[in-house]
Amino acid sequence: MASHRLDLEAIIDLIPPKARVLDLGCGDGLLLAMLAQRRQAIARGVELVEANVRACIARGLSVRQGNIEEGLADYSDQAFDYVILSETLAYLDRPLPVVIEMLRVGKHAVISFDNAGYWADRWRALRGDATGNDLCSGDPRARAITLPQFATLVACAGARVEQHIFVGRRGRVHHWPALFARIAVYVISRS
Amino acid sequence: MIVQTQYVTFERELRLHSGATLGPITLAYETYGTLNQDRNNAILICHAWSGDAHVAGYHTPNDSKPGWWDEAVGPGKAFDTDKYFIVCSNTIGGCSGSTGPASINPKTGRPYSLSFPIVTISDMVEAQRWLMDHLGLPYWVSVTGGSMGGMQALQWAVSYPERTRSAIVLAATAALSPQTIALNEVARQAIYADPNWNKGDYYGKAPPNAGLAVARMIGHITFLSDTSMREKFGRRLKNEKFGYSFETEFEVESYLRYRGNAFTKRFDANSFLYLSKAMDYFDLAYGLPSLASAFRHIVDTRFLVVSYTSDWLYPSWQSKELVRALLQNGLDATYVEIDSTYGHDAFLLEVDRLAEITRDFLKRVETTDWRVTVSI
Repeated sequence: MASHRLDLEAIIDLIPPKARVLDLGCGDGLLLAMLAQRRQAIARGVELVEANVRACIARGLSVRQGNIEEGLADYSDQAFDYVILSETLAYLDRPLPVVIEMLRVGKHAVISFDNAGYWADRWRALRGDATGNDLCSGDPRARAITLPQFATLVACAGARVEQHIFVGRRGRVHHWPALFARIAVYVISRS
Repeated sequence: MIVQTQYVTFERELRLHSGATLGPITLAYETYGTLNQDRNNAILICHAWSGDAHVAGYHTPNDSKPGWWDEAVGPGKAFDTDKYFIVCSNTIGGCSGSTGPASINPKTGRPYSLSFPIVTISDMVEAQRWLMDHLGLPYWVSVTGGSMGGMQALQWAVSYPERTRSAIVLAATAALSPQTIALNEVARQAIYADPNWNKGDYYGKAPPNAGLAVARMIGHITFLSDTSMREKFGRRLKNEKFGYSFETEFEVESYLRYRGNAFTKRFDANSFLYLSKAMDYFDLAYGLPSLASAFRHIVDTRFLVVSYTSDWLYPSWQSKELVRALLQNGLDATYVEIDSTYGHDAFLLEVDRLAEITRDFLKRVETTDWRVTVSI
């Protein structure tokens, strides 16, 4: 949870004031509310779970219930400055079309994910332990994503990386992110 | 909460969508709560097919039942009468006090019957706008309703966006699906087939109750869901064993018969026909290139669209289509799909979750600027 907060802080740092922002899979609306408050963002969200949508409405947000694909299809080209996909990429069945759609609807896409190449994960894998969610936890199936894998996705989407923030165990990481970043936050746009 | 139905008669003629005119027009309406000094705390509630102006409270202390949406309208409820001045009026074409086919045509001195002109949802809204001006209200904080009431709320936003600060659209659609038109047509045919209907000319004689009861039974099937029917009735019988006859045996049959017959005591068959046509004709995209273009001129109106998972009469895909058209115009639209097994009736029954959503939504509507000013 603490690491998730670091991810949100990094995203907020990346969004300029008064931007039009769409958060895909916005959960209970924490990030959107923070963006509205601290960045005066025009904030919109898409969320699948009814209880979360109601929590968003309670925060005074405008949210559309539905899955990410439906939510993106609702918007016209370049309707937003930023489209955010926070800690959700690993759960998508088909990430590439979603990223392409994000760049149709938004000028920039902000994507954050847990780096599966983090050294401790590599060490666990080397010892023969699993990477990703354990089988007993009941967590949904998720992809393990590394930084080079993400770079390939960006290239396939015809996009380029504009900015990135890497967060490690003790704050921002500037060297060897593929190894030391626990969370990666990228801003990408059409190249 | 004791309320009285009030009446206002407009001595002028309303030009209807069809090109025909209707007038004079009487509207039955009720109000709840207090209009504030600035006259800007009014909410309009629009009723569905079989509803009336009596949305909440009791007419007398001895009434057995309150208004049709009493769970949602009252002090501290979803539409809080401590805070808002709430208005509900019977639609034109109806039979609960407003001008409809059972009313006396002043030109002939006899009931209109089928000489009553076809009215549309936008004609209903136009008559409500007359009432709004009569009450001296610059704008509605919100216009809301379920089913046909939700269609009116949408029509308000389209016809008078500058007077509609928000629209709360429940279990409704921007256009009826062929399936729903088909069901309406079967209901109409049930009435036409009743010899008492007599091409609508039955006032002062025996009304077509058998036909109207069947029409209403069809309606009640569409208001429920497969699950809610299973939960409510199962295959339970009134008696212990099969009777091997055509008597009413299954509880679901007895429920439908009871509801059908009860309806004939309070509703006029011709009104039922007219309102069904008003819904069939409702299509915000009619004559336009797309549904999105219907909302192009709207600037500030905020939308809350709610659908219910088990509603197959106005299924969620219709609400999603509506929301998409709103969002494509960059409008502020919130969409919630409430998980419920109650079918179309859920908008009347799932009041707790609705109350939470509407309260939070209305709070936001009120805290945002409303630039549009209207002089009456």
